[in-house]
Amino acid sequence: MIRRYFALASGLMALILVVCAVAVAAAPVQLTFTVWSYSNDVIQDNIQKFQARNPGVQVGLNDFAWEKFTDVMTARFVGKTSTDVSYSSDHWLQQWAAANWIVPLDDYFPQVAAYKPDFAPYAIEGMTYNGKLYGLPYYADTIIFIYNEDMLKRAGFSTPPVTWDDVTKMAVAMKQKKIVEYPLMFQFQDITPWYIEVFLSMVYSNKNPSMFDKSLNPTYDTESSTAHKVARWLVDGFRTTKIINPASLEMTEVPLVKAMGAGQVAFAVLPKYNLADLNTTGAHAQAGKFKMALMPGETHGTEGFVRFYAMTKMAADRGKEVRDASWKFLEYFGGKSGGEFTVVKRWALEKGLGFAQLPLYKDPQIRAAINKWGNVTLEEQQSKLARAKEALTPFWGSWSLEFQKEMNKALLGQETPLQALQASAAKWKEMKK
Amino acid sequence: MRLSPRSIPMSWKARETRYAYATVLPVVVVVALFTIYPVVYAVSTSLRQVVLYRPDSTPFVGLKNYVDIVRGDFFPTAWAHTLTFTLFAVPLATVLGFGTAHLLRVRSRLAGFLNAAVLLPWAIPTVISGVIWAWIFNSTYGAFNGVLYSLGLISSYIPLLSRPSSALFCVLFAHIWKELPLTSILYVAALQAIPDELYDAARADGAGVLAMLRRITIPLVLPTTLIVVIYESMVAIVTFDLLYVMTGGGPAGATSLISYYIYNRMFTSYNFGQGAALAVILALSLIVFILVYLRVLNSEEVYRE
Amino acid sequence: MRHSRTQQLLVTALALLAAAYILAPFAWVAVSSIQPEKELFSVPPHWVPRILTGDNYRFIFTGKFPAGYTETGLLRGRISEKARDALPALMNSTIVALTVAAANLLLGVVAAYSFSRLRFRGAGALYTFVLASRLLPPMALAIPYYLIVARLGLLDRYGALILIHSAVTLPFTVWFLAVYFKRVPPDMEDAALVDGCTRLQVLVRIVAPVAAPALAAAAAFAFMFSYNDFPFALFVTSTIRSQTIPVIVSATAVNPDVSFGVVAVTVVLTMLPPVAFALLFRRYITRGLITVVTTR
Repeated sequence: MIRRYFALASGLMALILVVCAVAVAAAPVQLTFTVWSYSNDVIQDNIQKFQARNPGVQVGLNDFAWEKFTDVMTARFVGKTSTDVSYSSDHWLQQWAAANWIVPLDDYFPQVAAYKPDFAPYAIEGMTYNGKLYGLPYYADTIIFIYNEDMLKRAGFSTPPVTWDDVTKMAVAMKQKKIVEYPLMFQFQDITPWYIEVFLSMVYSNKNPSMFDKSLNPTYDTESSTAHKVARWLVDGFRTTKIINPASLEMTEVPLVKAMGAGQVAFAVLPKYNLADLNTTGAHAQAGKFKMALMPGETHGTEGFVRFYAMTKMAADRGKEVRDASWKFLEYFGGKSGGEFTVVKRWALEKGLGFAQLPLYKDPQIRAAINKWGNVTLEEQQSKLARAKEALTPFWGSWSLEFQKEMNKALLGQETPLQALQASAAKWKEMKK
Repeated sequence: MRLSPRSIPMSWKARETRYAYATVLPVVVVVALFTIYPVVYAVSTSLRQVVLYRPDSTPFVGLKNYVDIVRGDFFPTAWAHTLTFTLFAVPLATVLGFGTAHLLRVRSRLAGFLNAAVLLPWAIPTVISGVIWAWIFNSTYGAFNGVLYSLGLISSYIPLLSRPSSALFCVLFAHIWKELPLTSILYVAALQAIPDELYDAARADGAGVLAMLRRITIPLVLPTTLIVVIYESMVAIVTFDLLYVMTGGGPAGATSLISYYIYNRMFTSYNFGQGAALAVILALSLIVFILVYLRVLNSEEVYRE
Repeated sequence: MRHSRTQQLLVTALALLAAAYILAPFAWVAVSSIQPEKELFSVPPHWVPRILTGDNYRFIFTGKFPAGYTETGLLRGRISEKARDALPALMNSTIVALTVAAANLLLGVVAAYSFSRLRFRGAGALYTFVLASRLLPPMALAIPYYLIVARLGLLDRYGALILIHSAVTLPFTVWFLAVYFKRVPPDMEDAALVDGCTRLQVLVRIVAPVAAPALAAAAAFAFMFSYNDFPFALFVTSTIRSQTIPVIVSATAVNPDVSFGVVAVTVVLTMLPPVAFALLFRRYITRGLITVVTTR
């Protein structure tokens, strides 16, 4: 009797063990993916397709508002909440990498080096910290000059401005002909992250585009610096020629685009994906009239930025299986699958997002899609002239807010442009210590 | 007919005490968890150098964070802005609440409608009301400018949120809108407690509306006024969401209050030590303020007895 | 009692002004929600809408893109899809807020009654402690609260929000009701106690029905706080499983492809549960406040 029981029990145990072993072996790896809430449907769809190709990996999506993304991610990393792959950006890379929240891909996946030749230089620079690559691009874009072609023609001009003096001339003409009261508007709210990027893009369009030296000391707080030239141009446009809308001081990206789409703005300096949005007929009254021009200025240079997929330290510590799954994920989303940059191409076709993967400019589908709302030749040319932000440090974000606040004081007439630049440079030196 | 404690059998008293603890402890435990831990966390973080992108060293630095904060050049301006905002917001919320309460007590269909409507701003999350008001006050397509323009009062839109003084006005406008439900309802309650005979007697003596207001109404609602002033002050001093959404602390830092700098220190500079120190300073200021209030209230009660 | 004609006119005018001030934003949002995006940014605004459309509502409820937003040949249009999470978020918000209100009624009422009627050691200290707990600003509380909830394994669950919101509202409820209970004469309760009822029975059968307005007011405050909370909900929720409506609205209002018309729809929807709640319990709320404020 007892022996029969024993045989039954051990048989059952063996069966259970086998089932467990099979389950464990077959259990998919769970990856947690954190994003900001832009086009979640597309992200989910991409995830489904990825999971179909890689049945051993399951991806859970967590999303947060774009403006609050870093705040929530900070809490997540501080609280060590399980996160494996995440969106990141060039302007936070310094902080996230120094805090040891994300890890260099070079260390774990040497095969990532094969992708580098395909990426635009400003994108690589934006994803590199201490000489190591920290991600594969989600999208990369440049700041461009957008103009309302209709307003330009009505003012009597047939070609877009080539220098910043041209911009002033054309804007003054538009103002005098009462085509629009303030032809220019900028996103210059105190704390919007785009403010500094727009300012930098204007600096980079000039011949001496640097604001810092090689030891990361500020060089822009002198009278002869390019930054001073740009600052003076802005203050001039604000206070003297009055071609820049005073409402710029309250503008963030979305209200500026809405105003431009409604016909309130003739010239704007914006990230390129906004051109796709501006020419969407359902969204804006003036859709279809917006065109891109190379950034006015001596070199037509501009600033480029990159958002990328990063792997977290938590994922790296979870073991080889998770790391392999993470690489599969990173490669599918930011790299090639089936020989094509599938996901990146999809973003470009459907949403007009820019890309760091230069070979895509040769793709006929892409060219046709971009030309529907933009100009692919100009775009390619502009991205070759784009520079990454210089002097990125963990305190760059803090400094940029000070820079913006001081510039706004200058725009309000509370101090001179030079004083504003000197004040923020002093803050930089303080933070550097 | 009250029972004296001595005539109650011991076991019954013990049962009562057990019941007391049993009913009170759940609340205390939950609240304690969410009070003790954050306070300990805040104080201990404020005494160390905690900078997130320097994770390897978080040494104990004593009061250094506090000194750095108080010596920082943002500190006096932040307090100045906070006090300016509070000194405008509190009287406005109080006086307008008082006035609205009178309107709510009138017997008319309009007043009945107003009674229902006055609760609506309370039903909106602050951050959403900030989004709506930022949209309304927008200087290129906002409805506020639109109304003035359509009425012929202005010939072109005024940049409201782009100038420091008008930005303060807009922010106050939105803030008061959100606070009006509570202040007016509190005053309605207080006004209802005043017996009509007082007014009848005063009118028989020939007193006018203003005199009745001054001699009867205002003195008798003084306790409520104190509650409203204290509560609204606390709300104004810690306000963050509304301003952050509407102005981002601008233009040029004109609406950056202390609460903004706590956020800035913690989530932009990633300096948790300084952020915690600033939060502790703010909490201590609130304690001082409440103690002052209790002092005033106690002396007032004694006076009334 | 105002008899003079001019006084009556003045009062009516002021009442209209007050109504306009309070209702203007709602009217603006409601009218914007039924217009196509292009119409919303004209200078000056079209006070009488020229084109009316249900597209924005249809987008939230069914996912069909408004006219002009889909590009031919593309799979999806350029509009904020996060807005479609508004309905699930509304459900999350309402459920959490109702639970918090219930928790306040259950735990807070019972505790407040004990504080006011019973003498036990440590009562004074506990009372002060409960009141002193609200001094740190929310921004400084966000991270510690996040850490507590994370350790308890409640991240991205209703439990996180219910716990945090209850912890924040209970002190106020307890104080509010204890003040109220202290002013009520204990005669009826003592009589019932002599008859052999327990404290709990006394509370439920005698005190609660009489104190209903104050209880309703306390529940309403708790509901409103929970429903309106943004800073805490932002940190502890990460998917639509628990994201509340303030989180969704702020997420839809900031992306480059935001449609203000759609944002307006989400705001209109946000208002519905609390407005319904407030209107249903309005009498109780004002009466509850009156009894607490006037029995000082």
